[in-house]
Amino acid sequence: MNISTNPWIWVSAILTLGIFSFLYKENPFYRVCEHLFVGIANGYSITFVWHRVLLPTLINPVAKGERLWLVPVAIVGALYFTRFIPKISWLVRIPIAIVMGYGAGASIPRAIEASIIEQLKATVITRSTFESIYTGLWAIVIFVGVIATISYFFFSRERKGVLRPLSYLGIIFIMLGFGASFGYTVMARISLLIGRLTFLLRDWLGIIK
Amino acid sequence: MNGSLKSNYGIWEKLTKIDRRLIYLFLFLVVLIPLIYPFRLAPRAMTPVLKLFNHIDTIPKDKCLVISVDYTPDTEPELHPMTIALLRHAFSRKIKVGILCISLLGLGLAQDAISIVTNEFNSKALTRNDSVIYGRDYVFWGWQTPVLVPILGMGENISKVFPVDYYGNKTDTLEIMKTIKNYNDVGILVSISGSAIPFYYITYAQTQFGVRIGVGSTAVQAADFYPYINSGQVTGMMSGMKGAAEYEQLVEERCKIYARRKATDAMAAQTAAHLWIMITIIIGNIGYFILRRRK
Amino acid sequence: MKVRLPLILVLITGILGALPFIIPHRIAQNFDNEFRNSVLRIIAAFSLVLGVGSIVRHHIYKIQRRKENWEYSWILLVSLVITSIIGLFGGIEGNGSLPTRIGDFYFDIQTIYMHAAIPLGATMFAMLSFFMASAAYRAFRARNFEATLLLLAAFIVMLGSVPLSTYVLPKLPDFAEWILTVPNTAAKRGMGFGIALGSLATSLKIILGIERGWLGGTK
Repeated sequence: MNISTNPWIWVSAILTLGIFSFLYKENPFYRVCEHLFVGIANGYSITFVWHRVLLPTLINPVAKGERLWLVPVAIVGALYFTRFIPKISWLVRIPIAIVMGYGAGASIPRAIEASIIEQLKATVITRSTFESIYTGLWAIVIFVGVIATISYFFFSRERKGVLRPLSYLGIIFIMLGFGASFGYTVMARISLLIGRLTFLLRDWLGIIK
Repeated sequence: MNGSLKSNYGIWEKLTKIDRRLIYLFLFLVVLIPLIYPFRLAPRAMTPVLKLFNHIDTIPKDKCLVISVDYTPDTEPELHPMTIALLRHAFSRKIKVGILCISLLGLGLAQDAISIVTNEFNSKALTRNDSVIYGRDYVFWGWQTPVLVPILGMGENISKVFPVDYYGNKTDTLEIMKTIKNYNDVGILVSISGSAIPFYYITYAQTQFGVRIGVGSTAVQAADFYPYINSGQVTGMMSGMKGAAEYEQLVEERCKIYARRKATDAMAAQTAAHLWIMITIIIGNIGYFILRRRK
Repeated sequence: MKVRLPLILVLITGILGALPFIIPHRIAQNFDNEFRNSVLRIIAAFSLVLGVGSIVRHHIYKIQRRKENWEYSWILLVSLVITSIIGLFGGIEGNGSLPTRIGDFYFDIQTIYMHAAIPLGATMFAMLSFFMASAAYRAFRARNFEATLLLLAAFIVMLGSVPLSTYVLPKLPDFAEWILTVPNTAAKRGMGFGIALGSLATSLKIILGIERGWLGGTK
């Protein structure tokens, strides 16, 4: 055992234990840690927005008398502050509209290409799919699985005739998919616990190498 | 007779109602013990990890690897070893590296990974040539907002997206930036994330500029990327801590880099925890079925 | 004005966002780059005001009204102010006008982040492992065929994704990988089509002013 003498490691360890204390029941120690996290994360964000966006992109060039057209842009950005002034709070819609409109517009053609056309292309079975018997076979399974899954979510018609077995097959594919996701979720959550315990045992208590 | 039936019934009922704190305690112990008494289980790399490794291994000399550190502290144990393993791989093969963050809270983590790996290499270096030097071998561009600005902007001109790097240097004055102008100079971009950011890279960077995308994903969302691996939109992927351990194994085996393997060291505890969770599910189900049959 | 102006802006910027993908001409590309790198970046940076402002307002309100657990709001506000001052005046690497070290003890923004924000954030999510184990034990039941299938797939992936299975059941990792690459791919792709079409429709409705929820009321 080789306990750390670094005060910051002690801070980290105490905060870690503070959050873990919630497992027993909610308590003041946990609440302090929870509020501290929100405060520090926001302070960190303010720092980087100032130093790495506003200073180099806006303030430094404008202070030198360059790119003065950015001043009205900054005024539009500053309209976010109006959210907290009830009489003119509607002005906050202007910067939101610009950012959201651009995002929505940019996504339309690209998402059609990436999430629909490319995915459709990968689903379609062609001669090249049959490089080997297995690639061909699995491609057929994927094709059937995609159709079955879509048919499960097809609510415009009553599940009769061919739609009934097809949508049931869809459930089977969905269950396998969700099962796989659950298996992986277990892995993810355990990894995070291992990470914290490793910190406590290695960096703080020095029990493990 | 009736009494013994009742007591048996009670045992099965108890099996379905174990106190949650007992489950917590056992899980805690199951993870703790293999960490204190470790045994190494070498993982075997699965196809998506192998594909990613092989692609990075064969990046042409005139192209670079870009690592997008898009994770935040909450997923650090799973994803941080991936960044470290990728950096070790790239530096050992003398591949130039550009690092950026889409998540603001990823900046400190990226800096931490860079410090760990550059210290490892530079402590063993005998000449300037062997060393890993900032501005020559790698660059840390830092962070930009909103998400579309860096993802689309890097297709045109990286220096315009990041006028200054993380350390405040003017980006276009760095030597490495003479060869890294935009996505045309990128062999592969690996987005390591616990959120939807890799999907943004697929939708915007891959679709519009054709840049190769690799993914380092938390295990929670790894299953969602398989359709994109199947379609070729994602070149390769590391899934969770296990994916990181597989990559660490490949780096050690093929690049002969012997350093601390955080993810591999955790595999024994991971195995024990998986087994424990499966046991709890089985116990719960046994109790449930016996009670159901009796009812 | 209060509604029409934002709707016109959302339509114009929506078109500006979509056009450069369809028109690869130099002029369109250059305009798009300048718009993104300057206008969008600066405006988006200010959006931090919304997040930070809302948090600060909410906690000041809690303190003023002595709402339940109001004492903790002080911790949030004080830590926010202190880290902001250290970050803004102490610089990112501790190279600003405000000193961020006393002897060998550093307290620059990056050190605070590494030793306070990371452990706090990581531990919050690490706790989920306990809740997940407890929930799986209580609720994961093989009630019918579909649920059994889900359970089996989960078990195979759980076992197949740890190195032990390579030694005990060498084919299991391959089977786990097959589940992920074949049935899982089919299911996720099928659902993905629905999700993609849904988000496309939403984007289009926003640009065309049909979806107005983001206005926060129509007055």
